[in-house]
Amino acid sequence: MSGGAEYSVPVGPIHAALEEPVLFNFKVDGERVVDVEVVPGQNHRGVEWMGMQRNPVQVIYLAEKICGICTVCHAYSFVRAVEHISGIESTPRADYIRAILAELERMHSHLLWAGIAAHEIGFDSLLHYTWKVRENEMDLREMITGNRVHYDMFMIGGVRRDIKQDQIPKILETLKYYKDNFEKLGKLFLQDKVIKMRTQGVGVLTKEDALKLCAVGPTARASGVPKDVRQDQPFGAYLDIPVKAITPDALTGEVHGDVYDRIIVRLLEVKQSIEIIEECLKRMPEGPILAEPNITRLLIQLKKAHGEGIGRHEAPRGEVYHYVRMDASDKVTAWKVRAPTYANVMPWVPMLKGQQIADIPIVAASTDPCMSCTDRAVVVKEGQKPYMISGEELHKMSVEKTRRMMA
Amino acid sequence: MNPEEIVEKFKSKFGAGVLDAKVQTKSGGVSKTQYHFVWMTLERPLLKDAVRFLASEWQPHLSVISGVDLGNILELTYHFTVGWGVRLGEIPVSIRIDLPKDDLTVPTITDIIPGALITEREKQEMLGIKVIGIPDARRLFVPETFPEGVYPWRKDATGVQPEHVKKLWEVGRLKLTPTGQGVAVNVEKAAAPSAPAKKENAGAN
Amino acid sequence: MNGMDILMAVIGSVLVMLFGIFFGLVFKGIDRVLSARMQARIGPRVRQPFWDVGKLFSKENIIPENAVKWMFSSAPVLGLASSAVMLLYLPLGPLAPVLQGHGDIILMLYLLVIPSLAMVTGGFASGSPYAAVGAQREMVMMMSYEFPLAAVVVSIAWKLNVFGIANPFSITSIASNPIWMNSGILGIIGSAILLVVLIIVTPAELSKIPFDAPEAETEIVGGLLAEYSGRNLGIFYLADAVKTIVMGALLVAIFFPWGIAGIVGLAAGSVGAIAADIAFFLLKLFLVLFVSVTVIRTSFARLKIDQIVYTYWAPLTIAALFGLVLIIWDLNLLGIEWYPQVLGGW
Repeated sequence: MSGGAEYSVPVGPIHAALEEPVLFNFKVDGERVVDVEVVPGQNHRGVEWMGMQRNPVQVIYLAEKICGICTVCHAYSFVRAVEHISGIESTPRADYIRAILAELERMHSHLLWAGIAAHEIGFDSLLHYTWKVRENEMDLREMITGNRVHYDMFMIGGVRRDIKQDQIPKILETLKYYKDNFEKLGKLFLQDKVIKMRTQGVGVLTKEDALKLCAVGPTARASGVPKDVRQDQPFGAYLDIPVKAITPDALTGEVHGDVYDRIIVRLLEVKQSIEIIEECLKRMPEGPILAEPNITRLLIQLKKAHGEGIGRHEAPRGEVYHYVRMDASDKVTAWKVRAPTYANVMPWVPMLKGQQIADIPIVAASTDPCMSCTDRAVVVKEGQKPYMISGEELHKMSVEKTRRMMA
Repeated sequence: MNPEEIVEKFKSKFGAGVLDAKVQTKSGGVSKTQYHFVWMTLERPLLKDAVRFLASEWQPHLSVISGVDLGNILELTYHFTVGWGVRLGEIPVSIRIDLPKDDLTVPTITDIIPGALITEREKQEMLGIKVIGIPDARRLFVPETFPEGVYPWRKDATGVQPEHVKKLWEVGRLKLTPTGQGVAVNVEKAAAPSAPAKKENAGAN
Repeated sequence: MNGMDILMAVIGSVLVMLFGIFFGLVFKGIDRVLSARMQARIGPRVRQPFWDVGKLFSKENIIPENAVKWMFSSAPVLGLASSAVMLLYLPLGPLAPVLQGHGDIILMLYLLVIPSLAMVTGGFASGSPYAAVGAQREMVMMMSYEFPLAAVVVSIAWKLNVFGIANPFSITSIASNPIWMNSGILGIIGSAILLVVLIIVTPAELSKIPFDAPEAETEIVGGLLAEYSGRNLGIFYLADAVKTIVMGALLVAIFFPWGIAGIVGLAAGSVGAIAADIAFFLLKLFLVLFVSVTVIRTSFARLKIDQIVYTYWAPLTIAALFGLVLIIWDLNLLGIEWYPQVLGGW
């Protein structure tokens, strides 16, 4: 299909294929994408500026709200940066709880992505199956942290809730459920003929481009760049538990850098996460979960902190990089957040050029741009009338539930 | 590769151009294994050479460029990581230059690392610096309607002033007015938008 | 045709159209519920499509500024009218077509194109790049599925012609002489292949997954229908419902035209027999549509337009032609004495 006049197709800022506001301006010839321009900043919230008006403990909560899915990653990175500056070290038990949370988050994020990817190519049955599987993990996190999203578990020097002994059987049971379902998921995503037709050879990012454009995470790994913070510069529990960056050749022996390879990498990472959590549970040491449980004393200590630090974490989407500078004041002097999607914006251009219009959604989604999932307001009960819960009621219910759990 | 080696290589290459260099060492987990960060402050004109040197010696990954307003100077830090791909092999190398407020220019490094474009564009709009030779100087995150000459991360008169900050509960909901430019227009009920206005008048009377 | 006939035709047309709309929407509801159950969801209620239509008709009807207005507004009406006209040529269970004797299956082939053409017209007239892309895709898709569809029709008519049946292209003839009749084993295999081909052509005619590239909501946000809203969208929705029934009735007429009244022992022509046959017809209709629409759309991902063209031009056209060849062989072999005995005839 060629020879026709070029015309432009905008995708975004709001578009069915996008889960967050971003604008792509496509130049299209027939069905073929000739050129593409990515215009982010459709919904810049100035989080970094807001952070610079707050003290470090307040910023943790802000960092968690950067993204509904990467809650752990941003809080973990920020907390690490502040710990490097202030010299407060997290306790070993907290390191393990942090790693368990991070891996749970990776599992849920990759499953969520897999569902979205299936939806983008019109395979809604797979979307519903994947998200059904994901629910168990959401429940598990609710049990551990009290919330399905935004769990506010991180504190400078540790975590805010312990994993109790009686919770461990439930965690192991859920992990077993995932191990049992993993084969089926893998088969559905990697053997299906139509998925292969839609993803193989589509949205290719070469290794050279991935390096040149500073791609991170599964996007880079699928192109054969073995880059994973948990492997390259491990921290916390990852210092004890070796993690290997997963590239698609682990399964197929080849690296193509296409969407199919990104599916492989993410699926294998789900399996890897299960193994890491099991290892963490086995090795988790006893001890306190906070280096400084008294928040007033912690704040006084932080007020004296002076210097700069880097906090890194391998989020489901790639490396999160936080730079923090503190100058012995009650505010954070500088805070720079580098989310993985920030680094994966430029690799979109070589991926999308030369593709068909039909490939745009799956290619754009294949880097897993950050999204939010907070819709929990509608409750449907079988056999009864569906009803809605307002924000106030939901808040009231949350408070009641927290009280119940504290008791 | 160890961090001291990186610092040594830079010192032997740039001599007194390396104003300050330090290695930060941290540990964690039960095993208390150590890992390192390298921080270097370079003389401003050396930036491009330093990046080129880094790119020729190691295969650096540019994470981000950060910037801080420190009163008289703006401090730009280029955060690289080198040695990735091997367990415990990676070291973040942060190269810093100071820009005096009266000359906020810096050369682009996109010719060495094309992926730097995003973060350079962001620094232009957030800090008000000028990146010489940047291939695409447009705004990135800040909307087109944002006022010129206001740079959110600056802490002086060009930064965000209290009057820029809108409290949501004070502003209320935005009242939208149709622009008529390519916007779908309701043909059948074109008169509808004027109806609430009449109601308001009636209430005032 | 005298005055009485015309009056009967008009009343019949209105009734058939209402029948098409009502059962089209019922099927849409059933389709959504069954699809949801297959995906381990609860799904909406069966009456949801009726609410949807009601809602759409009560919403404001927005016409984009840069659309060609008369074309944009007339396309949905054309789509619904042409879909309804097709129903007039199709036998609905025991009820003979309203316009019996006035058109044949070749006319059906042409009529089937018109709703798609109406959508293409509407798409191009809406002045939106998404709709334009969708319209281009729809045209490409029409060209691709016509070929296997025509192959199926030709096979059937050819067979009827061999048996010396008058008007082999007439739908009534086709329905009263099912393709499975007078077949050896090869003929039955050939007919089954043709059935499968027609079942796979159906989702493309109806723009359902995996052949919904012209409407692909994650790619081109509804494509052809991107700019439609309110009443216009509602009419397109009804047109789609009617066309669904048309495709189902066509499949039933060609492959499963039998009634149930004779089998359960009701006297032919009695009210009970007609009621039973209508119920049985609806059952057949919904079963056929369940397979060709619900099951297929639930178990596949969306294909790209070039993959759709390939699917119809290569495997499906070859399959349809192979089915035709099998039927021809079968009829030639039936003349040989041993063949019906060895392989079993019908």
